[in-house]
Amino acid sequence: MNTEVKLHPSSELLNQFVQGELAAGKSIVVSAHMELCESCSAKAKELQALAVSSWVDPSSAMQSDQTSEADYVNMVAGIVTSSQIKSAPIEDLVEVDIDVLDHSIKLPKVLAKAASQGLKWKKVAGGISEAQLFIDNETQCEFIYMAPGGKVPVHTHQGSETTLVLEGSFEDELGEYKTSDFIIRDAQHNHQPHSKEGCLCFSVLDSPLQFTEGLARLMNPLNRYKFKKATSG
Amino acid sequence: MYRNYAKQSVFSKDGSLAVRLASMDTSKPSINAEDSVVSDETLLIAVGNSQDIGAFNQLFERFAKKIFALGMKLTRNEQLANDLIQEALLNVWQKAPLYDMDKGSAKGWIFTLSRNRCFDMLRKQKRQPNCISADDIWPLESGAEPAMVHEDIGGQQVELSLIEGYFDQLSDPQRAVVEQIYIKDRTHEEAAAYLQIPLGTLKSRLRLGVAKLRNLIGVDQ
Repeated sequence: MNTEVKLHPSSELLNQFVQGELAAGKSIVVSAHMELCESCSAKAKELQALAVSSWVDPSSAMQSDQTSEADYVNMVAGIVTSSQIKSAPIEDLVEVDIDVLDHSIKLPKVLAKAASQGLKWKKVAGGISEAQLFIDNETQCEFIYMAPGGKVPVHTHQGSETTLVLEGSFEDELGEYKTSDFIIRDAQHNHQPHSKEGCLCFSVLDSPLQFTEGLARLMNPLNRYKFKKATSG
Repeated sequence: MYRNYAKQSVFSKDGSLAVRLASMDTSKPSINAEDSVVSDETLLIAVGNSQDIGAFNQLFERFAKKIFALGMKLTRNEQLANDLIQEALLNVWQKAPLYDMDKGSAKGWIFTLSRNRCFDMLRKQKRQPNCISADDIWPLESGAEPAMVHEDIGGQQVELSLIEGYFDQLSDPQRAVVEQIYIKDRTHEEAAAYLQIPLGTLKSRLRLGVAKLRNLIGVDQ
């Protein structure tokens, strides 16, 4: 457990997470952070307890105007004929090879599971490699590896980019980020991440990156294409 | 296997609830489902330990509408919200033995199952890949970890009197569970039923209790 985590998801984001309101990509990155961060894990538990109280509260806003017309009798009759599960399945330990690293690394369980079908690493500019995962139709999810000295071209975001540092560290104009830090950048930020010692991250974009300087701008149509592809499988 | 104590419940179309008893066999008393002071936990334990249909009916009555409301909120789709009642309560029935009362309330557990099934349903409907499921994102805090519960604590020739000497260092709930399994020689199911705790709770208390005893005795894991 990393005790020096500086950057955490906001309470609002954690609350959306426990209520099941986030897209899968964002849920995964929040869940992975929680596995690395005891305080967020505890906070999410409290938020879930609150969500449950308001869920069962008869006077809560969470009562639907519509009522279900389902056939409850048949539903119950069908359900009680199915067999029960007496033991939780033994968790398969998911091993993932991170080809860009020369050593093995233990990923948070949810990321290991998501990556278990194999990662295809692609080199992009500036010592950066990325491996995309198709998770949902709203977010572009990828592992990003910055080799020591690697630099991402200066860019901004139309929506937001959520990044979880898994190993190593990187910096941008706003600070330095270490393992387990949870960073959100949006359209207000024009930033150029770079890493001295090398860094493995998991990143979730909810709209395409937009490079803002130099020749990298020529790649913007490609970024839009990548986003489209990443969100349609 | 099931007790002939089936109780049928009907939500009428205007949403009000009508209940009628279908048949009754009082040879084995079931949870009195009419009794609103019976806790959700008691009902869930009865479902998990003895497939109590009356208790399940009562849980169904308490939670079906709430699950429907959760489904409407998250999917905005009446059909999906109705499907969610089926999916979530099927899950409650199937996984009831895994519920661990030491890890949280029954309503919290049912909320978790409902939210998770809703998340998976929505992903399926949007044809998103099943490389990841809700249970990976929000792991169920289940007490059942079968690989860690060894049946043969006595396999390593340890004097029973020695173990007994350490017994009072266990918490009361742990000692009760270890006694049931290793001294009274009951199965996990029998012990859970006797102690009126979920199987999942029994397994997690047993695991913790045995680990503590091993530690005290100095037996290697």
